[in-house]
Amino acid sequence: MPAVVRVLDLVKHYQLEAVTVRALQGVSLTVDEGDFVALMGPSGSGKSTLLNLLGCLDRPTSGNYFLGEEDVADMEDDQLSEIRSKYLGFIFQSYNLLPQYTVVENIEVPLLYQGRPLNDETRAWCVRLAGLVGLGDRLDHRPMQLSGGQQQRVAIARALVNDPQVILADEPTGNLDSKTSDEIMVMLTKMNDDGKTIIMVTHENDIAAWAKRVIRMRDGHIESDQPNEHRPHRNGAAAPMASEPDLRLDGPADGIAVKRHPA
Amino acid sequence: MRAYPPMNSIIYVILSVLLVPVFLLMSAMLFTEKGRRSLLLALRSLLLQKMRAILSVLGVVIGIAAVISLMAFGEGSKHEALEDIRRMGATNIMVRSVKPPDDASTQRRSFVAMYGLTYGDYERFATISSVIRMVPMRVFPQEIRRLERMHNGRVVATTPEYADVNELPLSAGRFLTDEDDLREYNHAVLGSVTAEKLFPFDDPLGQTVRLGTYDYLIVGVLKERMPTGGSGGSQAAEDFNNDVYIPLSTCRGRFGEKIFIRQSGSRSGEKVDLSQVTITVSDMEKVRPTGDVIRGLLQQRHLKNDWAVTVPLDRLEEAERTLMRYTILLVAIAFISLLVGGIGIMNIMLASVTERTREIGIRRALGAKRRDITLQFLIEAVVQTSTGGLLGIVFGMTVIFLAPVVAERFFETHMPAKVHGLSIGLALTVAFGVGILFGWYPARRAALLDPIEALRHE
Repeated sequence: MPAVVRVLDLVKHYQLEAVTVRALQGVSLTVDEGDFVALMGPSGSGKSTLLNLLGCLDRPTSGNYFLGEEDVADMEDDQLSEIRSKYLGFIFQSYNLLPQYTVVENIEVPLLYQGRPLNDETRAWCVRLAGLVGLGDRLDHRPMQLSGGQQQRVAIARALVNDPQVILADEPTGNLDSKTSDEIMVMLTKMNDDGKTIIMVTHENDIAAWAKRVIRMRDGHIESDQPNEHRPHRNGAAAPMASEPDLRLDGPADGIAVKRHPA
Repeated sequence: MRAYPPMNSIIYVILSVLLVPVFLLMSAMLFTEKGRRSLLLALRSLLLQKMRAILSVLGVVIGIAAVISLMAFGEGSKHEALEDIRRMGATNIMVRSVKPPDDASTQRRSFVAMYGLTYGDYERFATISSVIRMVPMRVFPQEIRRLERMHNGRVVATTPEYADVNELPLSAGRFLTDEDDLREYNHAVLGSVTAEKLFPFDDPLGQTVRLGTYDYLIVGVLKERMPTGGSGGSQAAEDFNNDVYIPLSTCRGRFGEKIFIRQSGSRSGEKVDLSQVTITVSDMEKVRPTGDVIRGLLQQRHLKNDWAVTVPLDRLEEAERTLMRYTILLVAIAFISLLVGGIGIMNIMLASVTERTREIGIRRALGAKRRDITLQFLIEAVVQTSTGGLLGIVFGMTVIFLAPVVAERFFETHMPAKVHGLSIGLALTVAFGVGILFGWYPARRAALLDPIEALRHE
């Protein structure tokens, strides 16, 4: 598997008034295509800083970051925006949908900023994604009219719309109850089975247990980096979903989640 | 006709300064997907918060309404002045006799007051090379009688050329002819009211009226004529409908040099050769110089200030001055209210940026560049100010149609208004421009937010 993310000796310092906060102190990391990484660690360990850097929302103080073929570390603001819209998908703890937009319009936003024309074709693609996350019957609803789990599913559809190389999830289940969390995790696992690379920050062990690889951080360093041998949820799981996500397009709204939920 | 530099040049300067940014933003708004989305979003939030939007653009509304209505009033007075000049004839100069104010020397004199233009003056005017036509008039009040009927009208003794200088629509018969003048015929042409009063039931043509001690044959009757406006200040309003026109030569023979006027028991006499001479000049450029020559000539020949020269073209200058005043007022009011309006917009946009910091963070994370954010907030500001501009146009139009009515009804003043052709385009451009100008800072501020900070914003 080729590496999608290659990070070499990444350092990030913040200047907070007189104090320099050394948030990252030389992190090196390689994530292969199709991997599912859980980033864990206590608060202040640097995991959020790392995720922001990986998400090209911030620039490192020093070090190198290769995303696919691109050397991202020294890019200008506009170039970073372009990288984000082409190669990255974001899933946030608080969903972060745009309140003025409907479900479909929210899913469309990353395409809008790719500068490509929005037409019937892209609209159909967004509708398909909405159906895939089980919201085919709520295309015209606004985020306010949806439950937390539904909003997060819209966010997942939005993260998939630009066919990103890496999906970055920042505590995607932090605001959800355990049943809905499981539904979301099933969905992420399925995306991973389809070949999407996922890097997820979490502080819950049972959420991290869904991942293939768990990285623990402490004080700006990687403390441990281990493959997840026993993914309890994968035991007895059905065969990975076929490569094209549109197979379930006509299925029942919540069908995917229910069927894929481990016994 | 001369151009009016102040108003139009100001419009062109404003338009040329604003047009480039306005055009750029317009095309970004209408021809890019992001622009169209932002436009829709801006319209949507405008409709959601109508009250807030209206309050925030109130300054723009008032500013634009002021621009529209003041331009209309300026344009109206200009138009009216032009209309007046057209009616009086732009190449005409009116020289009139004016009764000088009574002073000690005139009181001591006999009760016959001698003043005004003389036949000598008239002959001198003919020597000015630019003069192509002169129409002398002698006007005095006189009882016009026919059998037992009597009408207090005016006798206007003049030459046939009078018809060329003034628009004289005839309802019957003909106007005076050269032959009437040459042979001193007792022929008369009646004004519409005079004819109506003296011949209520029958046709006046071919009948006679008595002026003084002689009878005159009626050869023509005029239609009703619009009074010329007394707007020039030096020119008194005239009502032509009570007139009776006779040949000047006949008048000299029949009435003599002195005219006696009976007024409320007393009698006063006047000796005035000519009440007015209307002089036509060969072309427009020569009107003012000729006016000056005539003034100089009369100054030499008259000891008393018993004459007045009216140049209709001067009305143009007066109109220009009015227009200038309106323009200065317009610029001042527009500047202040658009400044206030713009600051209102800036304020509301800054609040909106703070309110929507998180949205900005989300958009940045999903790939929006800084200029996308700038564009979005600029469009939002411009949508608001343009809405304000439209409301201002509606408001201004209301003022334009109501103000003259109110002025007429309650203040008894005339307030001409005419919508300036460019004013609506100008108003919208200015409103749009105010949006760009005052939306720029909030939009840049939104664009320069750190995406991580913005995402963390509650």
